[in-house]
Amino acid sequence: MSCCASHTFKRIYLILALVLLGFVLFSVLPAFAQDMTDEEYRPFPLIGSRNAAWIAAQLHLLFGSFILGVPMFAVIIEFIGWKTKEERYDRMAYEFIKLCMGAFSTTALLGGVLVFVLVWCYPKVLSKLSGIFGPTMIFYVILFFGETFTLYIYYYGWDKMKGRFKWVHLFLGVLLNIWGTAIMFVSNTWLTYQTSPATQFRKLSDSTKEKLTDFNKEEMVAEMLAHDPELTSAEAAAKVDATVISLHDETTGEFLGTVWDAINNFTWMPVNIHRLIGNIAFGGSIVAAYAAFRFLVAKSKEDKAHYDWMGYNGNFIALIGLIPLPFAGYWLGKEIYDFNNTMGINMMGSLFSWLFILQAVMIGVLFIGANYYLWSGMGRIKGAEIYARYRPYMITVIVICVAIWMTPRTLSKISSASELSAMGGSNHPHLGFFGLMTAKNTVVNIVILTTFLSFLFYRRSGKTPIVGWKGVGNILISAIFFLGVVVIVVIGIVGFTVETNVRVNVLTPWQVLVALGVMVVVTILDIIMYRKATMSGTINWGQMTDRSQYVLILLAITFTSLMGLMGYARSGLREGWHIFGVMKDTSVDAFTPSLSSAVNMVSIIMVIFFALVGFIFWLGLWGDKKKQAAVPVEAEATAESDA
Amino acid sequence: MSKNTIIKIAGLILMLVSFIAFVAKAPAFPIESEKLLPWSVWFLIAVLINMVVWGIVMKLMTFALSIIWFFALIAAWVPSTAIGTGTVTELDWSDPDAVVEIGESIFNTKGQCSACHTLDTSAPKGRCPDLTDIGVLAATRQPGLDAKQYLIESLYEPSKYLVPGYGSIMPEIWKNPIALTKVEIQAVIAFLQSQGGEIDSEPFDEPIDRADVGTTAEELAPLLSGDLEKGKQVFIDAACISCHVVQGLENPKAGEVNEDFEVVTAPELTDIAALNSMRYIEESILLPNALIVAGYGTVKVKANGITYEGTLVSEDTDKVIVRTKDADGTEQEHTILFSDFDEEPIDEEDIVNLIDNGYFTLTITPMESDTSISGDIVKETTDTVTLKVGEETVTVSKTEVKKMMTLTDFDGVRTVGEHISGTMDDDEIVLMIDGSEESFDPFDIEEAIIMVASGKKLHDTSPMPVNFPDTLTVVEMANLLAYLSTLTGVTTEETSDTTSENPSEETAE
Repeated sequence: MSCCASHTFKRIYLILALVLLGFVLFSVLPAFAQDMTDEEYRPFPLIGSRNAAWIAAQLHLLFGSFILGVPMFAVIIEFIGWKTKEERYDRMAYEFIKLCMGAFSTTALLGGVLVFVLVWCYPKVLSKLSGIFGPTMIFYVILFFGETFTLYIYYYGWDKMKGRFKWVHLFLGVLLNIWGTAIMFVSNTWLTYQTSPATQFRKLSDSTKEKLTDFNKEEMVAEMLAHDPELTSAEAAAKVDATVISLHDETTGEFLGTVWDAINNFTWMPVNIHRLIGNIAFGGSIVAAYAAFRFLVAKSKEDKAHYDWMGYNGNFIALIGLIPLPFAGYWLGKEIYDFNNTMGINMMGSLFSWLFILQAVMIGVLFIGANYYLWSGMGRIKGAEIYARYRPYMITVIVICVAIWMTPRTLSKISSASELSAMGGSNHPHLGFFGLMTAKNTVVNIVILTTFLSFLFYRRSGKTPIVGWKGVGNILISAIFFLGVVVIVVIGIVGFTVETNVRVNVLTPWQVLVALGVMVVVTILDIIMYRKATMSGTINWGQMTDRSQYVLILLAITFTSLMGLMGYARSGLREGWHIFGVMKDTSVDAFTPSLSSAVNMVSIIMVIFFALVGFIFWLGLWGDKKKQAAVPVEAEATAESDA
Repeated sequence: MSKNTIIKIAGLILMLVSFIAFVAKAPAFPIESEKLLPWSVWFLIAVLINMVVWGIVMKLMTFALSIIWFFALIAAWVPSTAIGTGTVTELDWSDPDAVVEIGESIFNTKGQCSACHTLDTSAPKGRCPDLTDIGVLAATRQPGLDAKQYLIESLYEPSKYLVPGYGSIMPEIWKNPIALTKVEIQAVIAFLQSQGGEIDSEPFDEPIDRADVGTTAEELAPLLSGDLEKGKQVFIDAACISCHVVQGLENPKAGEVNEDFEVVTAPELTDIAALNSMRYIEESILLPNALIVAGYGTVKVKANGITYEGTLVSEDTDKVIVRTKDADGTEQEHTILFSDFDEEPIDEEDIVNLIDNGYFTLTITPMESDTSISGDIVKETTDTVTLKVGEETVTVSKTEVKKMMTLTDFDGVRTVGEHISGTMDDDEIVLMIDGSEESFDPFDIEEAIIMVASGKKLHDTSPMPVNFPDTLTVVEMANLLAYLSTLTGVTTEETSDTTSENPSEETAE
């Protein structure tokens, strides 16, 4: 019967996928009927080409992010289950991959829809990109087949490979992640190239370097050394190596480099790393939301306990991804500035500056939500009450920090004159200095440390250390926290008084190092201190409030909103270019939509995304119900047979 | 049907209606329509109802939608503008209002002008000048330039004429990435003219070469690859610090007398990088006369037979103020009316670039005419010049003109006539005066100047040495620029939007 349920699930899903594809095809039939000449653009009916591509790309990316992120931690959880021999870990990992299976088909379907939309609506753009990236597209298809086959073997072989073949199964899981990561890296080449079609001289392939007749590295280095005797050869060479080289002829637009040059463009690797980490955070949050949904609809205590535990782990994974994400974003932003200063200024200070205020709101929601969930989680642990008294102070700190993070700085570029007059100027007269980056960097580190403190309290809940130096240890940990925060604040204050490059290159990294240092040292001390701690209370999984589950859903939706918003920023930075500075957008959609319009579009996409995700979850739930219903029948039949 | 069921259905309908309103881009916030509540309020009502009356699945859906709605509300609340990049290919000049409307749209969106310029005198000072009444004021900005010509030159060559108090930060809008077409710039000019002035639909020649449009900002990166500490030392060693003040940087040779050059008052550079592009800064070092900050140029003005040489303090529509320094160091300011300026002879070399050479009036005699034409210079091309003579504008050739000669004898008596033949090296000089030829003996003449026209000029030059291209090495130049790029003002004013090294760590996708 379980087999039948699974088949029913697949059948329904296949039918729905075909219906969706059919709907798309049907809706564009009038467009097909048009003259198939050598056009640059063809209109997409009803919603327009840009919206069609936007919806398809964003949905594809959201599902893709999910199916790439989840296997990463699923295989780690499976490994933990294998080593600890705790079945619940294996069950959870399997459940994660089961969610992936439903999303995998949708991802592929949406990828097909996206290609179809691009081929139909933007033939010249795709032609240009495929002319440069042709070999990578073939490689992509091979990787996709590898990913598909590995996923199917990994999923369907789960039970069969239990026992002595578990290591083979784990290897398949690792292979699955390698395929997935490679797929993402390849597809990232195309879109990052559109944003930054240039690279540094040092990254160029030898054949391209030979083509640069006006750019002779040896001569330039020699010239530098001749003019500046203090410069070492290595320094001169490094300066020449860092020169930005456009990969296209400035007047004809002709591509001058190799495929690898195009791949290794400015933003490729930062986007790869940013998305890799982002996928983990996003995958974790969606899994946590799924668990929250299952928790809320669960009838039995066992189910509630299981999905509570699953939700906790999903949220933990999401936070593990969230904390390093800003640093990866920092790198990406720096590369954008290095590629094109104007683009960087547009991103942070002009066209998209309000977007980053909205981003701060969203990240604030994430941190507040994550902390609230941890504090709620302590309610299920006996002996955790002693930490409750700290909560009002912690939430106060977080709210103040988030408020500072949300403070806008320069408004003159995008605010009307009357708005500026009403505000008393482009900077707030009293709070304006909170809008400076040094203030924001400071509060971000404090928010991260406060969240870490919540983790620490959660970890300690219900445990009593037995070491004799526990009093000294607590004082030491408190002192480290206190000193860390003081140092971070002092560095932040000093940041107001130094030159920008000192703050960016010296002070900000030191702030980050201090925050990381505090977390590492405190974690080590805490582990030693609680190594053989006595348990004064157990974790009562399942004893969670419904409110806490809503928070998990809030986090998932906020993560998704953030991805959509930043996707708009990344694409919008190109402004009126399909390929920045190389191929101009001359279509009717050649404008950068306002933040409001973009968020509306992202909202619509999110509604579709969560409707699809909800549908997949519901199918999973339905399949499970059928399976559960089938078990007694089968058991009864077996009993009758035995009799 | 029970009351509970009716409420449930009503909640669903409300949610559906509000969602449709949301998709249809109905006003979200604040309430703009008196007839229909904005979708945000409908949605709030729907959320409240659904969260109370429905079961868990519907509650979850409502909760999810309310979060999406919350973020959409914030986005609708904060200021934002769509940035157009479509190309306007044609203007219908039969409807000037429509052209102005197009120009305004480009001004606010694709052209990104409104990012820095305001159109409200009550607004706080922006990064660039307020453009209220620019349609009229443009005619007063540069002597010899009418409003349209001033706007054309300012739009195509933004650094050419700087309004005092503002730096050279405006990009060349005809280049990438803004890349306005000629038609679009025409529309913007029409919009700017409509700010208090009259719209002129007459076509104009672009004073640029569109072939340069491929140049991108990428070229800038190598400029900033220098070492800023070494650049600071260059700033001191090359004696920039002797004239230019940078807050926080002390001149180690302050008070010492330097005989190599004269110490003058030069613009403060504390926030030079915040006010100007690096291209402008580079140009200012290599070509100090390319653009001179108002109040810091040196001028030589001839008026009423007196020559004033000093600093150009200010300049407006009818006069200039020049500060001169006597031999004993006493400074004196002179207010000189343009009407008092002496006409200076213009030779064949100078007439090619009248405006660049500072001329704002011209007296010229066309080849086919016996009488000269005098007027303010309105527009200039390679071969012609347009003059405003009384209320009329006259365009004359710069090449088909009668050569005039001014003879000054040893008593200082000047004679002006059409040059027929002869120079100071010949036996005689023949001029046509009042229709008859007259001969002069060079032996009696102290000075003979051949000119093709005459005019009043105001041309300032920079007191800054012009030999930096020779004295600074490439590396020193790179280091100096790297240092100057860090001068963004008082450090507490630094913001994420003005510093190239300052990407935010908030960037998360």
